[in-house]
Amino acid sequence: MRISPDYSKEFEKIADAYEKSGGDVSNLIDKRVASIIISGDKILGLNNVDGVEIEAGKQEMGVWAKIKILKGKKILMPIHLCTGYLGDEGEQHINFEFTIEDGASVDFISHCSFPTSKHLTHKMTAIIKIGKNASMTYSDAHFHSENGGVTLISDTHAVVDEGGKYMNSFELTRTRVGKLTVKMDVDLKAGAVADLESKVRGKSDDEISIKESLGLNGKGAHGIAKSKIVATEKTRARIVNEAFGNAPYSKGHIECTEITSGDNVDVATLPVLKVTNDLSELTHEASIGRINSKQLDTIMAKGMTEEEATEFIIKGILN
Amino acid sequence: MLELRDIYLELGGKSILKKLNMKFDEGKRYTILGNNGTGKSTIANMIIGVEGYTPQKGKIYLNDQDITDLGISQRAMLGITIAFQESVRFDGIKVIDYLTLGGKLKKSMDEMKESLKLVGLNQDYLKRYVDNSLSGGERKRIELASVYMLSPKYVILDEPDSGIDMMSIETINVIISNLRKRGATVITITHREEIALESDYTYLICSGLVLKEGTPADISEYYKAMCDLCDHPNDIQSNDNIQLVSEKGQL
Repeated sequence: MRISPDYSKEFEKIADAYEKSGGDVSNLIDKRVASIIISGDKILGLNNVDGVEIEAGKQEMGVWAKIKILKGKKILMPIHLCTGYLGDEGEQHINFEFTIEDGASVDFISHCSFPTSKHLTHKMTAIIKIGKNASMTYSDAHFHSENGGVTLISDTHAVVDEGGKYMNSFELTRTRVGKLTVKMDVDLKAGAVADLESKVRGKSDDEISIKESLGLNGKGAHGIAKSKIVATEKTRARIVNEAFGNAPYSKGHIECTEITSGDNVDVATLPVLKVTNDLSELTHEASIGRINSKQLDTIMAKGMTEEEATEFIIKGILN
Repeated sequence: MLELRDIYLELGGKSILKKLNMKFDEGKRYTILGNNGTGKSTIANMIIGVEGYTPQKGKIYLNDQDITDLGISQRAMLGITIAFQESVRFDGIKVIDYLTLGGKLKKSMDEMKESLKLVGLNQDYLKRYVDNSLSGGERKRIELASVYMLSPKYVILDEPDSGIDMMSIETINVIISNLRKRGATVITITHREEIALESDYTYLICSGLVLKEGTPADISEYYKAMCDLCDHPNDIQSNDNIQLVSEKGQL
């Protein structure tokens, strides 16, 4: 990938934030790896490989990008998406459109870094179309500033065609959250599979709102939506997991685990199951509460303090 | 020496342990024997300092230092630990991290393999998670390996044979023997007299009291004869009789 000389300094800063957030910069500059690097409303770099077509451009307060994986192509090396904002305040709008054509398969690794933002609103919308027997995995890790000044609004709509697979993971566990609103709905056709997982750790006065929705609309569609939330101090969390069994032999499972620590947390979870076809099968699990005292006792009996044991167990839960 | 002196413990307004006196010398092997529900695990929880198990009367001493008010972590740092009867699961934590407490314990790969081998597991388990992908028996073995890695001074093994498929008393004895080689005093809690037979000294518990204490052979014989058939281990009405028996040391 070539970085425009105009953007070389900005790339260095983004690359630095990317590395601090766990990314491997070598992937961003490797010609064999498809990637796009976005900073604010600028596209610092973009690389295509065989079978991948990425187009991108500026838009008001941000960037749009259309990513297409051509029919039948198996992209062996994950596509890297690096999004960042280096300013103290502002607004960033990112619009993604993913098209995974029939029989194609691809993995995406996305890092979003807002390391210093004091007042930033990041809005991301994604429209995902996964073709027949195609497969897409999307791993999205976020790294926000520690002052809680990031507001993240993410809205994803995915359609998975017959026999297609969609795996999505969202993770915001290493830094403050700020204010987070994630909305994701997936429309699953016959024999399609979706696996959604969100892991978020809130502290101070972070606000977390997640709504994941599985539409099991095709015969034999399967879907799982799991949320794992750790809420500490004054964190407020609202989690809604939904599954709609609208087709015969479809199966859905939703699960929410919320671990609380502190007297001032305010957390809630709402599982919604609705069946309109009596051959559909839906299940859910939900739990809210402190870390199991037996787990704490077991670890503390090995010489860890309560704080160390709590951290050890939480890291596992969010692993 | 670890010593319990004149312990009285109530839980939820109910008297559980009464005038309990026990001594555990360094490097020896002890058994706390008794039927289910007689207070054995309560004694274990009290010794290790589980919250809510502080005695209302009496003291716990470690080498003449009063540790009654110390918490579970503080007592663990003094070398007192436990393998609980039921090994809980830990989602997302690999065996390798569990054995080293996430790197807090500086242990070599060889030491980890040795501890797993001791409990009948191979090194492939290091990559596995201590969650419900392991059976209760496998988690129990991992717990015993973890305790071995700690090189404790005093370790309580609460019903070490429960929930372990195919783990024989011989295997448990090997684990205990290795713990002792590392300098541990091992206190085994059990309701099986054949496990007690291997110890240096045995306490027989009934209704929260030390009913009898002494050599494993004597206590096991008594237990087999008297307690196997007993249908009132926690019968409050029989407490007075048990108190009397405890004081006299015989029925």
